[in-house]
Amino acid sequence: MSDATRPDGIPGAAERAARGPVLRKGLGPSPTGWFDPRGRAIGSWAFAVNRITGLGLVFYLYLHLGVLTLLLVGESAWNDFLEIATTTVFLGLDVLLLFGILFHGLNGVRVALVGTGVVPNRQMALFMAGTVIGTITLIYGAIHIFGSR
Amino acid sequence: MRTSDETPTGATEAMETRRFRVFRFKRADRAPHFDEFDVPVTARTTLFDAMRWIQFNRDPSLALRHSCLHASCGTCGVRANGREVLMCVTAVHDLGREITVEPVANIPILTDLVVDMGEFYARFPEAHPLVRESGFNPEAEAPEGMAAYQRYEDCIECGLCLSACPVVATTDRYVGPGALAWAQRILEEPRDEDVRGVHDWADDPDGAWRCHAAFECTEACPSNVNPAARIMQLRGTLAGPRLTRGEAPG
Amino acid sequence: MSALASRTPPAHVLIVGGGGTGGALAHDLTLRGVKVTLVERAEVTSGTTGRHHGLLHSGARYVVGDQESAIECIEENAILRRICPGSFEENDGLFVAITDEDMAYVEPFLKGCADCGIPTQTLSPDEALRLEPLLNPDLKAAVRIPDATMDAMRMPLRFFATAKHGGAEIHSYMEVKDLIVHDRVVSGAVVHDHVTDRQGEVHADVVVNATGPWSEQIASMAGVDVPIRLSPGVLVALRGRLCNMVINRMHRSGDGDIVVPQRALSIVGTSSWTVDDPDDLGVPQDHVQRMYEEGAKLIPAVKQAEFRAAWSAARPLIGSRDQADTGRELSRTFKTYDHMETDGVEGFVTITGGKGTTLRGMAELCANVICAKLGIDAECRTRETVLLPHEAYYAG
Repeated sequence: MSDATRPDGIPGAAERAARGPVLRKGLGPSPTGWFDPRGRAIGSWAFAVNRITGLGLVFYLYLHLGVLTLLLVGESAWNDFLEIATTTVFLGLDVLLLFGILFHGLNGVRVALVGTGVVPNRQMALFMAGTVIGTITLIYGAIHIFGSR
Repeated sequence: MRTSDETPTGATEAMETRRFRVFRFKRADRAPHFDEFDVPVTARTTLFDAMRWIQFNRDPSLALRHSCLHASCGTCGVRANGREVLMCVTAVHDLGREITVEPVANIPILTDLVVDMGEFYARFPEAHPLVRESGFNPEAEAPEGMAAYQRYEDCIECGLCLSACPVVATTDRYVGPGALAWAQRILEEPRDEDVRGVHDWADDPDGAWRCHAAFECTEACPSNVNPAARIMQLRGTLAGPRLTRGEAPG
Repeated sequence: MSALASRTPPAHVLIVGGGGTGGALAHDLTLRGVKVTLVERAEVTSGTTGRHHGLLHSGARYVVGDQESAIECIEENAILRRICPGSFEENDGLFVAITDEDMAYVEPFLKGCADCGIPTQTLSPDEALRLEPLLNPDLKAAVRIPDATMDAMRMPLRFFATAKHGGAEIHSYMEVKDLIVHDRVVSGAVVHDHVTDRQGEVHADVVVNATGPWSEQIASMAGVDVPIRLSPGVLVALRGRLCNMVINRMHRSGDGDIVVPQRALSIVGTSSWTVDDPDDLGVPQDHVQRMYEEGAKLIPAVKQAEFRAAWSAARPLIGSRDQADTGRELSRTFKTYDHMETDGVEGFVTITGGKGTTLRGMAELCANVICAKLGIDAECRTRETVLLPHEAYYAG
């Protein structure tokens, strides 16, 4: 009946003492970390979307700077760009950009106020306020962006 | 041992069957796997009852962690369908037809659904008192006949906050919500102790400043500790003196 | 003197059972220089110990009819406060008289407390209500006694922590499958490790059966019988901290006659019936109902309080199967059985009975018996040794 025992009799003591595997967030042992809002509450969604919009805005910034260099090239290059910039798809992306700015900005205000201990207990109220302001501004902005054609 | 296949809370109530996918891992295994069990349940069956039933009627090798059976010891934390819960106070009825049961995340697994809480406690810098005077608890009001009373902290050290936190999921260096909430309680009521050590410990990039306000810890906490709010209060305590007077705190 | 007289290397004791008794015994023996291995089939305190309402007994419940238990309690009450500082809500308790029958109990109660050395303070209904505003406003009298509240797992865990740091090996998820017995000598146990799914043998000079409700199962592996009666009780946890002191009913003993605060919950207990299988207790719904009814007599708000949990735990009571029907009649005191004396089986000791509050006292008694068997001349030091904090159990 003895099976791989140490002199003191405790079976498999070394294995027992070793650090076990660690499950990360998300269903099953997959290391998806913060980018897995499954089974999470709204706070994790806000956190994840904040990160995505942050990356998106940085990417947009470089894109924007790149586009602006067209001004150095000359008037016709800039006009070619304006042709693309007024297509429906591009305007749609503009609205997406507006969403990114609004979400990242308003959520950022929430995080700043809550995160420095100014209003730590009112974060849901702030989130709701931000959602309302953001939605109204987004709709207004989308109407104007598409209306400007 | 149980010889009957009765439901955990008595066979006289309306019975149905739920399927459980249970995480299994023994140290000799190369990798974990899931076992499936069909368990008879009633309206009253808790997740703990169901796991116990499996242990006694289907597979005695299933390892479970539990002690008080009433959300006071914090030992029976698991993830059911991805959400952190205490088994003993979670009704199976609220969980759906198919239920996946896994150990809590971000803490090393000992076996099956049991985790090694050594790493939870290792995130605290020092021994932490459990009891304090009611005067510092904002919800507590001593009755007129007594000056103050002694009160256990709400935190039952279950580790669900650590499991739910997305930042803890990305790094083992972040001390986590449980320890930070404790630090805030200590700074709030020093109990005649020198708390500069705690202050400096919390004032660290991997301490209070690593939190990203996902508030998952507060969602998961079964004991109303609200660790997220406490971390924010802690930040206010740490940053306040610097912002208002430009002085170093402490 | 047994054949296990003093030896080098140090004597090795294997404790089966990781409840409060096992933990306290591991601590006591470690302080006396004994090498201790403790094996528990699940998490420590997961049997009966972790499930009680968290009362640190003053002993007042037993002063009429079981003074031996009462005296044990008040002595251990004082010792535990000293060796586990910071582990109790030291808010005292009240015995509350609601009916005329309760009032008739007050005098023998006060006399009993005086006889047992339990300090009391009689209060008027007004004074009691100023301390506990949610009490039944029709209460007739109240007596204050030195009850306290503990975390039922974390207080015993301090014994495990101190034992572990003193050199004892505590192995949870290690289940005893059989005892190793030859020619009526117990020399160890066959254990199955649920972490690695491996089996092995642990040898020891003395094996201690500290398994509480499972005492008979382990004892039968050695071919001996331990007379215990399993008496579970139901407890109900409700949301809301309805009292800060422990509230008891001023009568001898009955269902639902105590309310204990546990953080933001209130625990109402308890009841009593008897079972044969410690793994199959059940939670009788009529008992749960009775907790609400009786508890509401002490604190009316119990009736509306939100349900959190209902569970049961088995008291292991000393006494043979033939006595007693509900289990309340048996004494709550504890006993150590040296099976060499009782059954002619060497190397095997059982400690059983008792209650959460008396864990240290039980361990002292048992350790004395074990050390006598092993020819070890060492005094008990657990009365004065302050225990490590509970989180030390998980460290290193």
